This record gives sequence, C-alpha cells and structure tokens, in this order.
Amino acid sequence: MAGNTTNTAPEAVAGGSAGDRWSGRALAVGLRVGGLLIAILIVIVVFTLLSKPNTFLTITNSLGVMRSMSTIAIVALGLTLVIVVGEIDLSFGYMYGLASILIGVAWVVWGWPIYLAIPLAFAAAVGVGSINAFLVTVLKIPSFIVTLGTGQLVFGTTLLVSNTATLNPAYPPPGRAVPQDQVEWFFGLSNQDLPLGLPMQAIWMLGVALVIGFILSRSLFGFRLKAIGGNPAAAALARLPIVKYKFAAFIICSMLATLAAMLDFAFIGSVQPNAGVGLLFPVFAAVIIGGASLSGGRGTAIGTLSGALLLAIIANGLALLSAGSYLSNFVSGAVTIAAVVLDRFTQSLRR
Amino acid sequence: MTALPPAVAGGSTTVDEVPERGLRIRGLRKWYGDTRALDGLDLDARPGEILGVAGPNGAGKSTLIKILAGETSADAGEIHLDGRPWDTATERDRVAVVHQEPQLFPNLTVAQNLMVGREGTRALVRRLDEQERSLMADLAILEYADHEIGSVPLAIQQRVEIGRALARDARVFLFDEPNSALTQEESTDLFRRMHLLADGGNVVVLVSHRIAELAEHTDRVALILDGLCTSVLADDALTPDGIAAGLVTGQAIREPEEQIVVHLGDDAATALRLDEWTHGAGEFHDIDLHVRAGEIIAIVGVEGSGARELVRSIAGFERGSGRIEVGGRSGGSAAASGTSLVSADRQTSLFTNLTIGDNMVSRLNREITAGGVALRRSRMREISHRLREQFRVKAPSVQLPIGSLSGGNQQKVAIAAAIVKRPEVLVLEEPTRGVDIGSKREIYRLMREYASQGHAVIIYCTEVPEVFEAADLVYIVSDGRLSEPLIVMNYADVEALARAVTRLERHAGAPPAP
Repeated sequence: MAGNTTNTAPEAVAGGSAGDRWSGRALAVGLRVGGLLIAILIVIVVFTLLSKPNTFLTITNSLGVMRSMSTIAIVALGLTLVIVVGEIDLSFGYMYGLASILIGVAWVVWGWPIYLAIPLAFAAAVGVGSINAFLVTVLKIPSFIVTLGTGQLVFGTTLLVSNTATLNPAYPPPGRAVPQDQVEWFFGLSNQDLPLGLPMQAIWMLGVALVIGFILSRSLFGFRLKAIGGNPAAAALARLPIVKYKFAAFIICSMLATLAAMLDFAFIGSVQPNAGVGLLFPVFAAVIIGGASLSGGRGTAIGTLSGALLLAIIANGLALLSAGSYLSNFVSGAVTIAAVVLDRFTQSLRR
Repeated sequence: MTALPPAVAGGSTTVDEVPERGLRIRGLRKWYGDTRALDGLDLDARPGEILGVAGPNGAGKSTLIKILAGETSADAGEIHLDGRPWDTATERDRVAVVHQEPQLFPNLTVAQNLMVGREGTRALVRRLDEQERSLMADLAILEYADHEIGSVPLAIQQRVEIGRALARDARVFLFDEPNSALTQEESTDLFRRMHLLADGGNVVVLVSHRIAELAEHTDRVALILDGLCTSVLADDALTPDGIAAGLVTGQAIREPEEQIVVHLGDDAATALRLDEWTHGAGEFHDIDLHVRAGEIIAIVGVEGSGARELVRSIAGFERGSGRIEVGGRSGGSAAASGTSLVSADRQTSLFTNLTIGDNMVSRLNREITAGGVALRRSRMREISHRLREQFRVKAPSVQLPIGSLSGGNQQKVAIAAAIVKRPEVLVLEEPTRGVDIGSKREIYRLMREYASQGHAVIIYCTEVPEVFEAADLVYIVSDGRLSEPLIVMNYADVEALARAVTRLERHAGAPPAP
C-alpha cells in the first residue's frame, strides 16, 4: 500500500539548492568521480613520499601508467555498457585471447594479409557477442551462466586454433614469410612517435572513452540502456527495444576486448593463447570502482576510466616499491570493496 | 443493511468484554507515514462461523492480514484470541493464511512441507506419523505425499497449507482471495473445507472481492473502508446488493453537476475493434468489442475473471488470437504502435534510476533526439517542463529522482509518459490504485482531456467508484466473457451502478447450465 511511495516531502529532497541545472543525478556522478579523483590524488601523494626520488612522479613513469591502464580501460569501457543494461559478461577475457590468437594464426601461420586477419578477429567478436546476447535475450538464460559457459567455449577454441603455441611474426613457421610492410603497419598501431612520448595505446583509450562517454550520456541508445538496466519490466511495457540493445551491448563489449587484444599484440610483438585470462578481476574492478551498479542502470565512462587509472597507479606504485605481488592483490581487492562500501555510504547520505 | 456504530461493529454484545472464545480486535492502527492503512479498526470473529471481509483496494484489508499473519506489527490496538491477548508477531503458530499463492517450500515434497518446523529432534529424517497420515487423508493429499510442491496443482498446495496449520493446532484460518486462480470445481471444494473448518470450531475469515461468494458462503460480512470497519452485514442484510452498495458508500467524489456528459455521434471514428478475440492461455474467449475515439471505457472484473488479461492483450502484452484493429489498421503491429499501457504497479511503470523528467520522456524517440542518435537535452527539458505543468506534478524540479515524489505524483508521471507518445488507444490498469484523492481527480481530468482530443481510453478497474467517476461505458468480465455495456451516465448514484455491475457479474459468472 505505502510500499512504493516515499514519505519524504519533495522539498526536503530538493534541499532547496538542487536546481534544474545541477541535478541530483549529475551531483551523484560528480561526487563519485570527484571522490575517485581525490582517492587518486591521495594515492599519488603516498607513493611519491614512499618511493625513491625521481621514480614515481616522473613523466616517463606517468606515461607508462597510462599505457598499462589502457588495456584494462578499453575492455572495461565495453563491459560498462553490458553492466549498465543489467547484464554481466565474464567472457571478455577469453574473447581477448581468441582475438589475439586469430590475428596471430591467420596472419603468421595461415599467411593471410594482416588487413584480413584483423577483420576476422572482429567478425569473431561479433559472433561471440551475438551468441551471448542470443542466449540471454531469446533463450532467457542468466548472463552470468551464459558467459561463464561461452568463455570456456571461446578459450577452448583459442587453444584449438593456436595449437597452444606462442606466435610471433618475426618467427613464422618454416616456409612462410610475413611481409615486412605489414609488420611495420601492424606494430605502428601501438607504436608511434608522438609528442611528449605519449603512448599510442593511450590515444586509442581516450578515443574509445569519448565514444562510450557519448553513448552513455549523450545518446538515445545510452539513455535507453540505462532505462532497460534500471527496470527491465518497465522497459518492456514502454516497448523499448530491449533485445536489440542487449545485442549491441554484448557485441560492443566483445569488440572492445578484440581492439585491446589487437593493440597489445601490436605493442608486445608476440601473442600467446592464455593472454587475457587475467583480465577478469581488474576489468570488473575498474567498472565497479567507477561507480557502475551491478544491478544495472548506472555507470559512466569517466568513472570507469578513473577506476582503471586508480588500479594502474596502485599496481605501478607498489611495483616501484618492490612490494611483492601479493601486496598488489591485497590492495586492489580491498580498494574494490571499499569503493562499494563508500558508495552505499554516500547514497544513504543523499537520502 | 445494519450499520452499527464502529465501536461495537461486529460485536453482538453491548458490553464490550473479551469473549471466551473467538477473535477480538480493538483499535487496531497502522500508519505508513501519512497513509492510514488501519485507523483504529474493531472486528470480532466468532468460532464456528465464516466471517467475510470486503473492502476496496487500499481500504486496509491486506494490512489487517499482514498483522494477523505476524508479517508486520500494529502501531496500536489489541488483539485477543480465546480470551487471551495474542501477540501475532511471536505466536505465529496460531494462524494459517491461505493465499492465492501458498507460502510453501516448492522444492520439498508435500509430506516434508507438512512436517517443516516439527521435524523432531532426531538427526534422522522422520516419517509421517499416524495422526499426520489421517490428516492428509482427510484433506485428500495423502496420495501426493512424495510429490514436490512445485509440481502439484494450486488447489492441492492450498490444502497442504491448511494441513500444515491443522497439524500445528492453528485456531485462526485466514483465506485471502484464495480461489481467484482455481477452477469452479476446485473452489467449490475449497468452500466445503472452509465450512468444515468453521464447523470444527475454528475462526475462519474470508477476504474476497467476489461479492456473490461472500453472500453465499459467509455468516457475516465486515465492510472495511479507509482503515475502519464501517458496518457488518448479517442475515437479511447479507445480500450481494447489500455488499455492493455498502462497499461504495461515500466513495464517490464526483458531484452530480460535475458529471460529464459525452455525446458521441454514430459517426465517431472507431479507435479499437476486437472480433472473436481469444486469450492465448484461455483466460477470455470470443470477445467482440468496439470502442470509439473520444470514449473512456472501463473494463471490470475480479482477479481471475480474465478482465486484466483482456486489457493487457489490447496493448499487446498478453497473447490473443482473433482480429484486432487499432485506428483502422489491423494486426499485432498496429496494436503495438497504436497503444500505450500503464500498468497498475508503479514498480513496472517507472524507472527508479532516472529523474522525473527522464521518466516522462522515456518512451519518446524522434521527439528527443537529432535523427534518433544524439539526445537533445534542451528538448527533453522543454517537454518535461510542459508535462509537469499540464499534469500538475508537484515537484520543485524535474531533475529530481522519481522516488522523491508521492505515489499520486509518481502515477501522474507514469501516465504522462504514456500520453506524450500520443497513442490512439491509451490503456490504463487500475489508474488510481494507492493514489490520494487530489491526485485521483487530476488523473480523471487528464484521462478525460486526452479522450476529448479524439483518442480512446480503456481502463481496467476493480472499484465501482472509479468507473462511476471516470468512465462513459463499463463492461464486466466474468469467467472470460464480456457483458453488455452499461452507460454510466444512466445511473444516478454510485450505489445504483454498483448493484448493476454486481448483477452482471453474477449472471455472467454463473456456471454454464449442464
């Protein structure tokens, strides 16, 4: 009876100051990202004080952090769409692995030109995303189970295709040669001489963030993704295109995992089948720290980007302190949980 | 009708003393914020009788059941059972609630369900004892002992619920709309068991919207309005007409002169036409309906009658076969593009993670974008500000979360979001459920305004006062059949309309002659 009405008077919620311009929702996002930036600043100060002089807070190291965060950030931006629409994708790490191996095998072993090997990997991403979305929307299987399963199917495919071998265009199988111009073009995707020594992958990351940011905050697609994720039942009654949009979210997520895989391959120069398996935690952590709600309907590109940055700074700072890898796990786990606890706290404050 | 003063309503004694046997409720109060669900309710239930409880939605029936079932506690008031004070929150074993959806463990068997809570102290799982076996035999559920609850029919589940209660010596049996999903045969059997329980000296309470059944099966009917027991009908006063009239007394807020008279010529355009329209799961059959633009049509029917399914099927949210024509175009896609549905439950009509303004424009596409891609925030603001004025949504800003609004204002936003899409047929399920009087008026005004702009409005109602105030025509659905329409304007007062509706409900609801 009174279950779905709130007893608070509208005036009390408005707090008098929340005008149309600076809305409650924007305020929440602002608080969240602002809080994250403060956390990032604190972490920077702490590591600057703890580390040896001229190791942490240098241009070279900062650019290194930007590069190291880019893989996680690009994949996490894709996952953000899936999370916003109220679903989960656990298969992106394996998709990353499949994409690198497909590019590597098609190019180095089968002798395809790189210009066909890359579209092949993206086509596979569209396939995997579509299968995920089909099972979730048409067969109505929970996405957690679907992507847990398809992740293993994808991983198995990767092992099968790669024959569990590491691939490097510098060492093609006997009798094959990889054209040098293609090698240069491909490696150029992640290695360019940019002003200030900016890493090329960071440019890709910013580009992706701009696109996802536009989608989430400025497009009808993003507006409806939030509506669908916030209340699927209401979205169905409002006739929002739920199936179509979930397909789009899963496909974009797989394609961004593929993009990240391609850029890492181009940067590192070689690829192995188990690449991407370790992405699950940091990518999810970046999305969660960034303020997206796992129950759907909430998430921003700037938040996810900041989450990835925070994790990268922590990993980098601890590595510089030679703290041992276990400490990095401790800290990133604790930070992820703390972010959610803090979120609950600020939300209760707003009420 | 015997209208007793509330203080002694339901009591047969003039001296208010605690009876030695039976249930006695005095001054029961439960407020949710400003909403007075129960406002000092008095009620007596005697052992050996079936007490009916009737009242419109939001009158306090469900709160009363929740308190008796121990699911929530009252703010004030006292409850006595068999002469002793009864703390419903801790002494839950004394009451059994039989819902439309039994509260059992679907993954356990019938026998295990019967034993839950009384498994004994031994580590080994015990078997049914003799007493339990005979109890189950009496209820005709022994043969299902090893079936999982999830796999047996609803009627069996309800009997298991009764059996559980009997096995732990419950005294009070609350039946809350128990038969809305049962077949005729199953519900006859359920009533037989209710009478057996009463004959056994238990306190039996039946909460129902089905007026004919209340009149037939209960000894007395308590009418609950606005959190109070306003009268108790018994003996000669206990007739379907009496209950129907009692339920709507003082409920209409329309003044006679306010009555809106609509004259539609025969040339008014057809907004909706159904021919031999039949539900995919058999909840209604062969419905022929013709709705003209400019009309507000009410479709009335209790849960399980098929009325709700009919209304939802018009908007394409239940499967139907036959012919549907919306705005001159036929077929499912015409129905999908020409209708908008607002569900009864605000949990499924609003997006709690969006602002008031975003909720208002959530169904739009071209109107709020450049080419269907980029949002035009200024357009969204413009539209939501206009809707806030037009619908008189009491919000200091449309950028606030939707949850900051009262129930009535939330409902206005939900309806605004559907209307701004300009559907030819606007479909509303219980448009003012849980809404305050002021917002009710606004919502009726908005419905009328939208209809007068040349659209059809179809509302699913469970309350006659709503029909009286809002609709031009009313159809009654019982057992999946549609009645002839009643012209609301022809009824001078809501009591007269209520009697007419009840009569049609009974006629259409009568079991087909063999």
